[in-house]
Amino acid sequence: MRTFIVIFMMIFLSACSSLGVQPWDRDLLAKDSMQLVPDYLDNFFDEHIYFSKEASSGGQGVGGGGCGCN
Amino acid sequence: MQLKNIRKQMSLATCALLQAASPAVNAEESDWEIDTAILFYSEDNGRVSAIEPAIYAGRELADDQRIDLRLVVDALTGATPNGAHPSAVSQTFTTPSGGSTYTEAPGELPLDDTFRDSRVAIGADWEVGLDRFSRVTWGGNLSKEYDYLSLGGSATYARDFNDRNTTFTTAFAFNNDTIEPEGGIPSVFQPMRVAGSGLNREGADDDKTITDFMLGVTQVISRETIMQLNFSFGQIDGYQNDPFKIVTVVDPADGLPAGSGFFDTASTGNLPYVYERRPDTRDRSVIYFKTVHHFEEDTINFSYRYYNDDWEVTSHTLDLRYRYELGNSYLQPHVRFYRQDAAEFYTHDLTLGTDVDPVSGAVSRDYATSDYRLAESETLTLGLKYGMPLGNDSELSIRGEVITQSVNDGSVRPGEETADLDAFVLQLNYSLLW
Amino acid sequence: MNDIRLKRDPDCWRGSFIAMASPCEVLMEVDEEELAGRVLETVVDEARRIEAKFSRYRDDNIIARINSAQGDSVTVDEESARLLDFADQLYQMSDGLFDITSGVLRKVWRFDGSDRIPGPRAIQQVLKNVGWHKVTWRNSQIILDQGMEIDLGGLGKEYAVDRCITLARELTDKSVLINFGGDLAVSCQRQGGKCWSVGRLVTGSDQAVALFQLFTGAIATSGDANRYLLKDGVRYSHVLNPKSGWPVVDAPHTVSVAAATCTEAGMFSTLAMLQGPQAREFLSLQGVEYWVN
Repeated sequence: MRTFIVIFMMIFLSACSSLGVQPWDRDLLAKDSMQLVPDYLDNFFDEHIYFSKEASSGGQGVGGGGCGCN
Repeated sequence: MQLKNIRKQMSLATCALLQAASPAVNAEESDWEIDTAILFYSEDNGRVSAIEPAIYAGRELADDQRIDLRLVVDALTGATPNGAHPSAVSQTFTTPSGGSTYTEAPGELPLDDTFRDSRVAIGADWEVGLDRFSRVTWGGNLSKEYDYLSLGGSATYARDFNDRNTTFTTAFAFNNDTIEPEGGIPSVFQPMRVAGSGLNREGADDDKTITDFMLGVTQVISRETIMQLNFSFGQIDGYQNDPFKIVTVVDPADGLPAGSGFFDTASTGNLPYVYERRPDTRDRSVIYFKTVHHFEEDTINFSYRYYNDDWEVTSHTLDLRYRYELGNSYLQPHVRFYRQDAAEFYTHDLTLGTDVDPVSGAVSRDYATSDYRLAESETLTLGLKYGMPLGNDSELSIRGEVITQSVNDGSVRPGEETADLDAFVLQLNYSLLW
Repeated sequence: MNDIRLKRDPDCWRGSFIAMASPCEVLMEVDEEELAGRVLETVVDEARRIEAKFSRYRDDNIIARINSAQGDSVTVDEESARLLDFADQLYQMSDGLFDITSGVLRKVWRFDGSDRIPGPRAIQQVLKNVGWHKVTWRNSQIILDQGMEIDLGGLGKEYAVDRCITLARELTDKSVLINFGGDLAVSCQRQGGKCWSVGRLVTGSDQAVALFQLFTGAIATSGDANRYLLKDGVRYSHVLNPKSGWPVVDAPHTVSVAAATCTEAGMFSTLAMLQGPQAREFLSLQGVEYWVN
């Protein structure tokens, strides 16, 4: 699995060098609605609710703190 | 050079040159970004309801640094399934403190209605730029409940490549959780006792550690599209039982909770329910993909998560948000679909004679839980959010969500109430720059 | 250097000094002399720091290190990297007209008002060493081919003005105007809605003086006051086209542009000069305020 990821990342990195935009084409990417997590608290609440109701958690990042709800 | 308008490009290039160049500009121009929200959460059939006010504040500091702070207060009341299953007869349980009882009518899902808790959680992230292309974020968390304490820290390293179009992230987190349940830690696979006849408890508290490691890549695809892919690996070590969850011991002769031998309550004081037992390690891996795409005006935010752990829980999560721009304001529908398999040791009940010795009460399985959260289940969430600006720097939004969870436990008999759940979420947000 | 002066004007403090071969002025709408002195001192230090760090006339700075590396890679500091990134973006935005490697053309072009025009072969020879696209610039490392040079003089003064404005804002909420040889910017609005009035030398047929009235933002001017060649009735401006190696013909005498920052204003006025007769058209397309003579 680890090897797979390292190889994958390398392919990704080389493939990506042709992707992307110049700094002055970042106008849309700079918008709030274009952020990966556009609403911090919505995301925070959702993670918490589903953490307490489902067996899965994580994925978006690490940490964030546990609670006794699960 | 063809004559063309390059004003926007020029202004962005100049910004990059001057803003980054001068911590002073950052310090002066950066305000606190503040998000406040209150969440009302309510489950049907009188199960849990919660009120959660939260505040988040973040700002850029001098020298390429940033700080984010959050505070959440959580007040929960209501009832939660105790793990025992409905029965054709009425069932009596002892409260966690061992001091009193509650009774569930025939066919009804046993709920422990002494469930009441409040929680305070605080967290902070501190991002430090290392050079022009990389940064480290240090995070800390503390969450405190009446019977639970969670303390954690994390470190995230991110580095940009390809003119900042590609970002690699490596993160590591460590958490230590301590639980001190009312009445103490139940002895695993020991029966719940009749109220007032002593408790099967061993020790006041126990703890677990959670270690997470993540590798991620974020890629700008085009002016309109950005994608993210994360791989996470985690290990949980230590006490992972839910101290309030029990498993019904069923007599195969009549399909009712056991009542003879070891479980002859009148003579032994043992109720036909044993405290659950889960493994004390859990290894999980998660693959998470997200993309955000900008249309002419609207934005779509889509994510997929694949989760797998060595308790044999596998799950898929799809999440889609579409933001319709309505001039100044916006409307954002949200759909989330989640499906999980049962944990390997999930069981509807334990059978007397097969799983549990009728005389000694010894359980022959390694692990067992009837916690519906480890059963096969599906969750569907439908939501709608409306946001509108208030003045220049502040926004007000409201969202409502309906969460429908259905638990597919193959052993449930017809007419038996399951842990299926409908929950409603109402959230008000107010964000401002200050 | 003891050329720093601070004196009291009717409605502000006026500091003056020489840096980057230009007369520099700092007008401060502050009350206390002590504060005015501190602002002035900060501005002088920053201007001289930038001059020392990026001047191509010195042999002990980053520019000298890059230009003398003879094909070796040079790792630059963060601030230099940002300036090089900016120059890189300008090069791309202007389709190669703005090029920090074009300075070597001055080895054959000397703008002294005379009629000495270099021969085509000499120009071709020098042009081999011009072209930002020949430079390797990546991850804070720069490699110049032998014979090539970079020169940040085309944006250093404007950058210095913006940096000094930033530093002045840290010291006072009151309005400060910084003017480095005609490139100027204001830190914030003056009290009572007043504006700063700055004289501007309009070089051209009649050496008139116009008056800028500036509330906020910045104004930068490019011009060829006394720096041109005149031959057979054609006036060659000191602005060189890095692609042809020739001066831009029929460029305006002076172009002034107003923008949010001095750097932006300066880049627009420079790019406008490079457009020659199309300077006005270029500027009106940008939607900026401008004055062309």
